[in-house]
Amino acid sequence: MSESTSANTAKPSSSVKLVLLGEAAVGKSSLVLRFVNNDFQENKEPTIGAAFLTQKCSLPTRTIKFEIWDTAGQERFASLAPMYYRNAQAALVVYDVTKPSSLTKAKHWVAELQRQASPGIVIALVGNKLDLTNDANEAAGEAQAEGEHESSPAEGDEATEESQEEQDASSGDARKVPTREASAYAEEEGLLFFETSAKTGVNVVDVFTAIANAIPESSLKSGRGAGAGTGQTSLSGGRPAEDSRVNLGERGAATAKEGCAC
Amino acid sequence: MESLADTPWDVIISGTGLAQSLLALALSRSGKNVLHVDRNPYYGGSEAAFSLQEAEEWANRVNSETGDHPFEDASIRLGDGSSETGTQLSASRAYTLSLSPQLIYARSQLLPTLVSSKVHRQLEFQAVGSWWIHRHGDGNDNWLYRVPGSREDIFADDMISVKSKRTLMRFIRHIGPSQPGVDEAGGAGSSLEEDVGDASLTEYLTSKFKVPEELHAPLLSLCLSQASPQQTSAHYAVARIKRHLASLGVYGSGFGSLAVKWGGGSEIAQVGCRALAVGGGVYVLNTGIEALDYPVEHAISDDSRIQLSLTNGESIKTKFVVGSNWDFPTETRLSCDCDKVARSITVVSSALESLFPATAEGGPVPVGAVVTFPGASLGEPDDSPPVYILVHSSETGECPTGQCVLYGSVSRPGSDGQALIDTAVQQLLQSAAGSDVKVLWSLRYTQLGRAESISAQPVSSPERIIRLPPPSLDLAFDDVLIDTVKNAWQTIMGDEANDHEFMTFEDREGAYEE
Repeated sequence: MSESTSANTAKPSSSVKLVLLGEAAVGKSSLVLRFVNNDFQENKEPTIGAAFLTQKCSLPTRTIKFEIWDTAGQERFASLAPMYYRNAQAALVVYDVTKPSSLTKAKHWVAELQRQASPGIVIALVGNKLDLTNDANEAAGEAQAEGEHESSPAEGDEATEESQEEQDASSGDARKVPTREASAYAEEEGLLFFETSAKTGVNVVDVFTAIANAIPESSLKSGRGAGAGTGQTSLSGGRPAEDSRVNLGERGAATAKEGCAC
Repeated sequence: MESLADTPWDVIISGTGLAQSLLALALSRSGKNVLHVDRNPYYGGSEAAFSLQEAEEWANRVNSETGDHPFEDASIRLGDGSSETGTQLSASRAYTLSLSPQLIYARSQLLPTLVSSKVHRQLEFQAVGSWWIHRHGDGNDNWLYRVPGSREDIFADDMISVKSKRTLMRFIRHIGPSQPGVDEAGGAGSSLEEDVGDASLTEYLTSKFKVPEELHAPLLSLCLSQASPQQTSAHYAVARIKRHLASLGVYGSGFGSLAVKWGGGSEIAQVGCRALAVGGGVYVLNTGIEALDYPVEHAISDDSRIQLSLTNGESIKTKFVVGSNWDFPTETRLSCDCDKVARSITVVSSALESLFPATAEGGPVPVGAVVTFPGASLGEPDDSPPVYILVHSSETGECPTGQCVLYGSVSRPGSDGQALIDTAVQQLLQSAAGSDVKVLWSLRYTQLGRAESISAQPVSSPERIIRLPPPSLDLAFDDVLIDTVKNAWQTIMGDEANDHEFMTFEDREGAYEE
């Protein structure tokens, strides 16, 4: 890792391109809004096309700057996705825990990413709207992350799941996708897995932190948007010698704003 | 869900090539209803970038849909990679091979345009470092000579005699100041016209400065002329050599031109499309224009719309239609008076490190090199066109570590041109790498476009159907494209167009906040 030349901060900074995919109305934009602004809006308007936001995530050894592409879930925008997942280092595939068809759509997106996106892409499967289930409160601080979910009984034990679900439903629980079903799928496909609530904020930051931690070091060095990689040329003049990134925004005056450790 | 047919569109853009995508960027904050379609299943049109598999699909499409693309005769050859580690082809998606690897001079108008429209931060720019020229000695020896591309290089060069250096410096002094900060981009003023007249580069260098002939080819390579020195006009060459010199040092020491990581023009095109998508534009791939139905009443009022049908069966109405000739239905295309060049993309099993020396202390690591093969060095007559090979290292993200991508081009289309490029690739590998280096994969094709940057304005024919000129075949980004896009933007915006608002935007809310 190249040392930063800035005196202000010791931690190297890297940019990570992240794309959100998933069916309409599962809460993609709300997850981003919670992560970026720690805010939530009821009855948010559907996203038209796409939105772009950035947010930093501080890890012990580095700062990750997420460049977040939030895509519209409506089918009429399906042609957009390839433009966003191309060269993305991370993808957040979102479904709604109260809507089984949204998990089916999520699986389609995972398959498309595995077929078309960069081979090293980190994919997180995220079940949103946890606030509508009975797990709303207890899930706080208890990330259903890969490897953390309890060991499941024999595969295909649908009966147990369903009876559990019926119980949940009778107690006012809107959950329709059992945690175990989604986490088993995630494990099989090697995805990170979380259940979140953009409304209450449960697990939202955890998703992004887990992704930041899962991005391979090599990808940060040579991957897209790597702010401190070799082979990128800096136009700001303040970058390490082995860097090849050229920064157009800082021609003549290094404002130490973008792309460098700041 | 609202269907495409229900929306009163202001603009339909057909094709997602660089010109259309820059127009998409220009319209991204206009508030216009824009539908952007492409009959291809990928973004980028004639500036697209492909994995190996996508390249194969593209080649099949070009060959089967004759006349529908500005490309012809595409063919792929698998190389002779052995199973030894490092000398075989990697997985298809480890490659991003670009149909538009053109370099961008630091003085190009494209760069301030990308900055003022706030999309440059979605792109990664890298340096193109050295220019090389192939020399063929007596006997069988070939070598690559590093072209002294700056004053410093000329002083340091130990191949050129002191006398020759003096002629060269006199020439460079004569063609004008080249200090960074002095805007000389494209600066062909009237004095230049008087100065050079109709002379060829050869005549001009010889008669005016007594620059020895051995230095003509290196100077030609700096202007990326695709004709021989005898057939390159001094007017054309001098303006471009000035651009080369004026671009040095603008964004850092040791280089004057840039490459865009992850696939060149394809990346810029997608950045433009993403901007319009964020601005509310609707994108549909795999869908082109099937037929244009001109409005019933021919007198066009402000609100009348052109009716057209899409290949997906939908019928839509729009005020304007924009596209390149190939993006319109066959029967409505204008005849194309295009130039043709032979091009190839070759993946080789060597990092070819010797081509990417550090060009300045503290400067960026170059990721690109330009290698010129004068016709004579390939055993052709003196006045035959040179072959250019743009070499991209794996740092461009176009190929795995330990390999390089060679983009070959010569202004002689067909098998003759491909044979010249083949020879050039072989000579390059012999000169710059050991004998064990292998060609792993190659794609050859003919590209159609404009060799000169003239008559590049869009044609509105009939009214409100805007036809973009054929893409430039220049090896460097041609600034005329920016004018083309601006012109189309003005036509669409009408009275709302204020020149100073073209491509000048604020950052969107939430983006790049600290």
